[in-house]
Amino acid sequence: MPPDSDQKTGDSSPALADETFRLHPLTPIALGGRVLGILIVITALGFAERGASGGASPNWIQVAIFGGLALLVVVRGIITVAVTSYHLLGGELRIDSGLLQKQSKRIRLDRVQSVDVLEPLSARIFGLAEVKVTTAGSERAAVRLRYLTLPVAQSLRADLLGRSTGAGEGAVEAPERLLITVPHGRLVGSVLLEMVSWRLLLLALGPALTVIGQQNGHKATTGIGIAIFVWFAVLIAHAIWQRVNSLWEFTVTESPDGLRVRHGLLSTTRQTVPPGKVQAILIHQPMSWRPFGWVQVRMNVAGYGRADSSKRTTLIPVTDRAFAESLVGWMLGGIDLHDIPLTRPPRRAAFRAPLWWRAEWAGADDRVFVARHGLLSRTIDVVPHQRTQSLRLSAGPWERAFGLASVHLDSTPGPVRTRAAHRDASEARQMLDRQIDRARMARQIGTQQSAPAPQVS
Amino acid sequence: MASRVMNVAFAPPPDQTWTRVSPLLARMRRTVVIALGIPVVAGVAVGLSFAWDTAGPIVGIIGALLLVWAWFAIGRNFRSWGYVERADDMVVTHGAMFKKLTVVPYGRMQLVDVKAGPIARSFGLVSVKLHTAAATTDAQVRGLTADHAGALRDRLTALGEAHAAGL
Repeated sequence: MPPDSDQKTGDSSPALADETFRLHPLTPIALGGRVLGILIVITALGFAERGASGGASPNWIQVAIFGGLALLVVVRGIITVAVTSYHLLGGELRIDSGLLQKQSKRIRLDRVQSVDVLEPLSARIFGLAEVKVTTAGSERAAVRLRYLTLPVAQSLRADLLGRSTGAGEGAVEAPERLLITVPHGRLVGSVLLEMVSWRLLLLALGPALTVIGQQNGHKATTGIGIAIFVWFAVLIAHAIWQRVNSLWEFTVTESPDGLRVRHGLLSTTRQTVPPGKVQAILIHQPMSWRPFGWVQVRMNVAGYGRADSSKRTTLIPVTDRAFAESLVGWMLGGIDLHDIPLTRPPRRAAFRAPLWWRAEWAGADDRVFVARHGLLSRTIDVVPHQRTQSLRLSAGPWERAFGLASVHLDSTPGPVRTRAAHRDASEARQMLDRQIDRARMARQIGTQQSAPAPQVS
Repeated sequence: MASRVMNVAFAPPPDQTWTRVSPLLARMRRTVVIALGIPVVAGVAVGLSFAWDTAGPIVGIIGALLLVWAWFAIGRNFRSWGYVERADDMVVTHGAMFKKLTVVPYGRMQLVDVKAGPIARSFGLVSVKLHTAAATTDAQVRGLTADHAGALRDRLTALGEAHAAGL
């Protein structure tokens, strides 16, 4: 679909395969959003103060400086918008930018891993959004188109995804099927539980000091106790707020492009994970969620780096264990996680990992490798055989003394780290050899998903 | 019993033996340790002997023991480096205290890195590192002579392209 008419267009008539477009005119203000916001707030506070203390004339020097800064920010934005143009040529996205030093970046659309539409607060106010294109390789090389109007951004994303999978140009936003939306109450409850849990000790430190101070008549200790409590409480409250704000109304839908993930309260994020880009999945249950049976699902995605925030690797922040397992089973090509035979380390592993060895399980069927670990907080890691990168066998001095070794399955950077820990060494080597064979065979065959995805009823 | 199990676990693939690296690796490391270690030990011994009279000989003995242990540890570590090129993947092992064995399928190899620091270069040694899309892949071979390394890298690059599997 050609871009909307409320955009400035560079080329007059887009050819069948070519499209050229520029950023939205309001971009400079949105780009400078945060800086401008701070300047406005400081100025407003200054005026309010002066108004309250008797209406003296405004500090013109301060106004001039702030006005100058604001002007610089806006001018910089205008220059960026004026010199940057984006071209869609067949299977390529070309970006020309730069005022003095002309720069031209080309991105091959078949190397695109995912295309996201983000709405940071400063852009959302104007109805604008950003399109972020991640290519195979590093997350740092992601290309950001800031800003376009939201409908244009969405149609551009559909277009890019369509071209990247060879589905044809100008694909209309494909229909989607809702899989799950996280209810607000459950989200807040789960975040509170997970964020507070052990941090309760930190919060208790303050009151403890206060009580001690009061009993001994030590004013300083009382004061410090209150200060510590307030400080920790503010930090924890801030962390909780950030989490809830980021994960608000977390929705996962299924579409021909892949899995679509949407979340966010003030700033919304949209993410599309094309099928086949998911490298490994984990289901994690923090200790504080065990009474409720809640779990979270996170994944390794090709192209996302270690530096990537946990926001982007989260598939579902909180849901029932049953639904998580059925969804993960479906994503991996219709398997049942409970059917896979798992084994434990030998008893002597207790010398290396006293209590935790009992919670280490690992095993594989013909499609995936599964590992469980964790005594208090529990995690299941799953890696499909065809996504295995390399395999490692390791044995530290303590393990060697007892004839133990660990098998690691390497995957792209992300939260999932799969290993079969502290197994009998020769057994571990056999496990590694078998896994190499399975990985090789799996690379030669593809997998297809035929059944529809499970939905939360 | 534990060491026998370890030997089985870290053995080369069946019907094959580890290709070993050049003894220059051990010689290089020992040279560096001796060249740096003796002055350091001597310096510490002399320095401390101003504070305590018996410090000198004690530090000297401890230092000498450490150097002797380092000599043998370097030897053990050098003997642990090995690699095997198979039909579909490459197996690499190293480590005496922390044993590691890594299998990298050719289809997953994204980059073959050949590096040599100044000291290694003066002994004619380079190290070859295999990179996959995973950051945790730890597949490297140290102590290869430059021509061996070049031939290995060329073979690996050709095999990597031939087997290339997408992510």
